[in-house]
Amino acid sequence: MTAAQREIADRLAAALAAGTLTVEDLRQGMEEVARSPGARQDILYLQAANTSPTAGVVGMMLIEDGAPVETPADADVWPYQTVLEAVNDGWRIISFPNMALLSVSEDDPHGLGFEFILERWS
Amino acid sequence: MTAIDEKLYDCDATLTDTQVLDFCKNGYLLLEGVVPDEVNRKSVAHCDGDSFYEPTSILQQDWFLEHVICNRAAAGAVRSLLGADFHLPILMSNHRFTAPGPAQGWHVDGNFKFGPALNNLQVFYYPQDTPLEMGPTQVMPGSHLVRNKARFMAHLDGIRGMVSTTAPAGSIFITAYQIWHRRGPASGEGLRNLLKYFYWRTEPPVRDWVVEEDFDFATVEYSPSFNASGEQFRMDVKVAEMFLWLCGKHDQFQNLGGQSWPLPGHRNDLPYGLPEGLGL
Repeated sequence: MTAAQREIADRLAAALAAGTLTVEDLRQGMEEVARSPGARQDILYLQAANTSPTAGVVGMMLIEDGAPVETPADADVWPYQTVLEAVNDGWRIISFPNMALLSVSEDDPHGLGFEFILERWS
Repeated sequence: MTAIDEKLYDCDATLTDTQVLDFCKNGYLLLEGVVPDEVNRKSVAHCDGDSFYEPTSILQQDWFLEHVICNRAAAGAVRSLLGADFHLPILMSNHRFTAPGPAQGWHVDGNFKFGPALNNLQVFYYPQDTPLEMGPTQVMPGSHLVRNKARFMAHLDGIRGMVSTTAPAGSIFITAYQIWHRRGPASGEGLRNLLKYFYWRTEPPVRDWVVEEDFDFATVEYSPSFNASGEQFRMDVKVAEMFLWLCGKHDQFQNLGGQSWPLPGHRNDLPYGLPEGLGL
């Protein structure tokens, strides 16, 4: 449920509790919910130093409200310094680091860190 | 300085052992403000007149050849890394960009080869001041040793340890071709030229740069400043291998594992596995 949809539901619930909700109010509220913009998936890529969610983050990319958000150049001011911090802030991990890709060669490092992909809905 | 023929060039090497090793660690070298202002102005004017993305015509200008392509500091560094009689550029690219604009995606340029060999150099020249607001190229130090592919990097954005090559007009930066890089975000307004060109090695590698008498292959630090991708000490090994390749000693390179050379350590003897005769 989006914030706008939640607001409509709260208004209807309040009217119901007050005994003032009419059939017309309910139909109108349902139409407003149907017309309101749908929720968007925000996506957060975090590349960590190792496979642990508590490891330091070495890279990040954020897509919010349907558009990429520029990541600050200074890594020390990134919103999350570990994957766990993001999880504790409401992000949900939808992909864990792919170990198969990281074992291609023992001698040759590949790519950037260990990638977690997280989502939330706004 | 000696012009061998139209395309080969030789001059004095200017980098020291430590500077060459630093290049092996970082994969790039920034030379700030080494081109005279008058040449910078001429270069900008030339690019205004030839705004094609490959303004190769600028390579026909004597003033450009003398002060940019064969610039004493830049060519001396190229000579140090590519050896004598290196091949001069035959193609000029211009990443001409009108700010403001978002960052470009991280990438390695096409036709890259990862490995210890350094047979060419990609070089960039800023003919105008290029502060952070004008989207200078960002590079990831040490990434020339970390395999990647441009198509696998499109979702990367912020990388801890990346460096913005902010620089005054007349700056030249020299890179290992496969280094990860991108144009940074630009919040300013105006036109930015970034000329890009390429040198090749024609002679086998040899340690004929400025040799430091006290440079010690056994105790020198091979660790790069940043390691976001490799297992512990793996990058030390990569850096040492590249440095020995440049010294013309790649056939002597060895990694015997564990605490052996080239890992750092407080030892009571020479590192086990140190190849013999490296300083000769």
